[in-house]
Amino acid sequence: MPEIKVTPLGAGQDVGRSCILVSIGGKNIMLDCGMHMGYNDDRRFPDFSYITQNGRLTEFLDCVIISHFHLDHCGALPFMSEMVGYDGPIYMTHPTKAICPILLEDFRKITVDKKGETNFFTSQMIKDCMKKVVPLNLHQTVQVDDELEIKAYYAGHVLGAAMVQIKVGSESVVYTGDYNMTPDRHLGAAWIDKCRPDILISESTYATTIRDSKRCRERDFLKKVHESIERGGKVLIPVFALGRAQELCILLETFWERMNLKAPIYFSTGLTEKANHYYKLFITWTNQKIRKTFVQRNMFEFKHIKAFDRSYADNPGPMVVFATPGMLHAGQSLQIFKKWAGNEKNMVIMPGYCVQGTIGHKILNGQRKLEMEGRSTLDVKLQVEYMSFSAHADAKGIMQLIRMAEPRNMLLVHGEAVKMEFLKGKIEQEFSIDCHMPANGETATVTTNPSVPVDISLNLLKREMALGGPLPDPKKPRTMHGTLIMKENSLKLVSSEQALKELGLNEHQLRFTCRVQLQDPHSDPDTLNRIYTHLKSVLKGYTIQHLPDGTVMVESIVIKVSSSAEDTSTKVLLLSWSYQDEDLGSFLSTLLKKGLPSGLC
Amino acid sequence: MAEMEETDFNDILDDWFIESLKTYKDLHVYQLEHPTQVIEWTSGRTVCVAGYSSSKNEILELHLPLKLFADENKGLCAERDFKVVHGGFAEGPVCCLRHVPGTRCVVTNDGLSSDLQVWTVGGDDSDVIRRTGSVKGRRSVSEGGSRIAAPLSSQLLHGARSSDVQLTQLTSGQILYTLETDSADPLSSLQFVSDTVFLAGCCNGNVYIADTRTSAAPQLSPGPAAWGGSVLWWTDASAGRVIRLSSSGQAVVSDLRDLGEAVSWAQLDVQSHRCNPDDVRVSWAPALDNCIAVSGFSGAVQIYKTSVWGTERQDVQPLFEHRGHAVSSQSDDDVFVTAHVWHPERPRTLLSAASDGSVHVWDWVDQSEL
Repeated sequence: MPEIKVTPLGAGQDVGRSCILVSIGGKNIMLDCGMHMGYNDDRRFPDFSYITQNGRLTEFLDCVIISHFHLDHCGALPFMSEMVGYDGPIYMTHPTKAICPILLEDFRKITVDKKGETNFFTSQMIKDCMKKVVPLNLHQTVQVDDELEIKAYYAGHVLGAAMVQIKVGSESVVYTGDYNMTPDRHLGAAWIDKCRPDILISESTYATTIRDSKRCRERDFLKKVHESIERGGKVLIPVFALGRAQELCILLETFWERMNLKAPIYFSTGLTEKANHYYKLFITWTNQKIRKTFVQRNMFEFKHIKAFDRSYADNPGPMVVFATPGMLHAGQSLQIFKKWAGNEKNMVIMPGYCVQGTIGHKILNGQRKLEMEGRSTLDVKLQVEYMSFSAHADAKGIMQLIRMAEPRNMLLVHGEAVKMEFLKGKIEQEFSIDCHMPANGETATVTTNPSVPVDISLNLLKREMALGGPLPDPKKPRTMHGTLIMKENSLKLVSSEQALKELGLNEHQLRFTCRVQLQDPHSDPDTLNRIYTHLKSVLKGYTIQHLPDGTVMVESIVIKVSSSAEDTSTKVLLLSWSYQDEDLGSFLSTLLKKGLPSGLC
Repeated sequence: MAEMEETDFNDILDDWFIESLKTYKDLHVYQLEHPTQVIEWTSGRTVCVAGYSSSKNEILELHLPLKLFADENKGLCAERDFKVVHGGFAEGPVCCLRHVPGTRCVVTNDGLSSDLQVWTVGGDDSDVIRRTGSVKGRRSVSEGGSRIAAPLSSQLLHGARSSDVQLTQLTSGQILYTLETDSADPLSSLQFVSDTVFLAGCCNGNVYIADTRTSAAPQLSPGPAAWGGSVLWWTDASAGRVIRLSSSGQAVVSDLRDLGEAVSWAQLDVQSHRCNPDDVRVSWAPALDNCIAVSGFSGAVQIYKTSVWGTERQDVQPLFEHRGHAVSSQSDDDVFVTAHVWHPERPRTLLSAASDGSVHVWDWVDQSEL
């Protein structure tokens, strides 16, 4: 039976990272290659021993696809390609290709330089890994090889995030990665056509969450900023160049305007250059509003937001500063943090996840005393706020996506199947499709029903149509007979004569002959006549002929009568039929063995 | 460019949103797939909601966002979402849902008959809410559904009319008590005011008080004299006080021991022409003195302070109005609030649900105390 196999790599109930293996039509694909951010040892890498016990992965994988630049989806990529070994193509969208290496390098620096780790990929490895990347455009079908093709769809969530369709012949799988179904200020909503994949793969957490609205998150942000400013405090917002920074700036600008606030807002110049650069490159990946803004003015030309100079950090009074890097692990944001940390009127707002080892991570875990270089300690007295702005789909969103794509099967990863009976039932009921939930390390096998295209010969088609009857109806299949010939990679349906001709074979005819003894005191011709009458009454609807040459024919079956030499009332009937009339022939011989009814004249 | 900026401006920050920065401490806005008419606490941190469409509906147990409870470390908790912890399917609408205290059971009624369905909400090992039994109503046919009250574990008080109220032992189905009344008034509420004493509030304003331990006749307190034609009444009792609210917006506060006398009256500021009898709710705040919440007349939930009401019926204004559902509704039809509940301990935290499927969790600021 044709089938597709899906295995989420990882152990137990791990939900920290994504790395999924798919086997489809003889091809093996790796979807995402994330790092588990909660571990410090080898458990943070996916367990590739499932693919092969030792050695390189190149011959076992046809391609690797990365959905977006978050570390839990691409963090282990350089490890996989350079330390375990993989030389095949790595597919990702253009923005992901541009942003991944930056995040990977930052991550590497933190892990190696700050935490002193040794078994980790190097800067050169990141570069070598990225050389293997083949960039994807949205909605463009890419042939990985003769049989495997992939296509990227817009996922929303972050810049460059994609959902991917993988197709081999008529079997396909769609992997969602992270996505969201409601557009936000700088990204649109995920979209996919009714591609009817055999399997739609998504995260189970989506289905068990009901998300608080974007507005409420933004409200919380504005409230916190406003409260700090009102009490004369300073607010530091460490950001990564892309995404949230732009959005939060628009929000603050509009708020400042509306409330007629006077406190200064700054962003560090490094931030604006990078952000402008990326938005210019990837303008088609943002939503309509941003595009309009960008076309009409510089992204960071705001009325109330000005470029930062580091001397401003010492100015008295309230202010808001956006600075990089986002995890407070180095540079300007860390410098400002050190100056402002000692005052409880101040606030730092962390708008995203911080990797272990960074100051950001420490303060988000409640640490109030930090050890800095030179053995000095920093007392953290300012208010620490962790806000999550990331756009994810939820229970309602996943149902919407299923409605859009119309998959034949659903597969949810990173959930505990035992605890997801309701969810499974809900999907099965609403869409009448199976919902699979493999545990990490477990393989889910989905049987598919691929359609195989076959050419039909014109002669055969004409013959079938000449048989009459109603015109073929897609809902009511009509049986037809022919011979299937497989030549090279194509399949053809032809008539048996044509098949024989093509194959250079002679058609053989099979003919059966059978003798039946009958007691009948009449003459041979009379017996034949009686047989004729008898058969005519029993086999209504069949063509029965009494021929002048002394035979009775039922369809193409020939019946002859002759008398036994010893006794003229013992008749011997000779029945002869061809293979095609086997059924009727057998029936006749059985019938005639019973003898002739006495009532015949 | 100025024009475009102006529309952006309006999109991003409408008046209500800006106002909410000062008027709410916490605010969470959610969108369910299907609207609910019920919100019932199943623990201090979980609620059950359920659909009310005419065919199959979901019953969900939701865990409130962690951020709401992370009092000292609120800033460090970014978790603002509901988690669907358990779910089940009901064959018909769910119009009344009650948690049986001390158990993992909930009981529902479909608003079409007086029979009840019993459900078991799975534990840690399963996410299913399973139908495990049923309780027959006293009369098989009735217009409108049953009200349910659950005093002690495994006992249920239920009935659709004053003439068919009974106390049923959940596990055995044994009927422990029946309310004997002369008239068969449809009920709008049923609740216990002590372990054995309960109040049956009728739609016509009559209130019966009875004790399930005795077979003595219930005490009947007829409805307040209503003016303006036939009106419907809803009742809520708490800490010795009873409030009765009419569909025309009249509210009467009485002492439980003396229902015939009105302690105070008021004419509430509700859009009385538009009330849907299934949706009106009035409730005393469990952790605030003399505060009630009223909903179902419109897309707002109103909080009134009854201590400022007098003995003369006068117009009063709400202390607070939650207009979130009306303001953020995406639908073209007028949205109206279908249910609200107070948090049992947090004084000003409420949950409210509306006809467009929205569910809000909000903690309002009492401006009069500022």
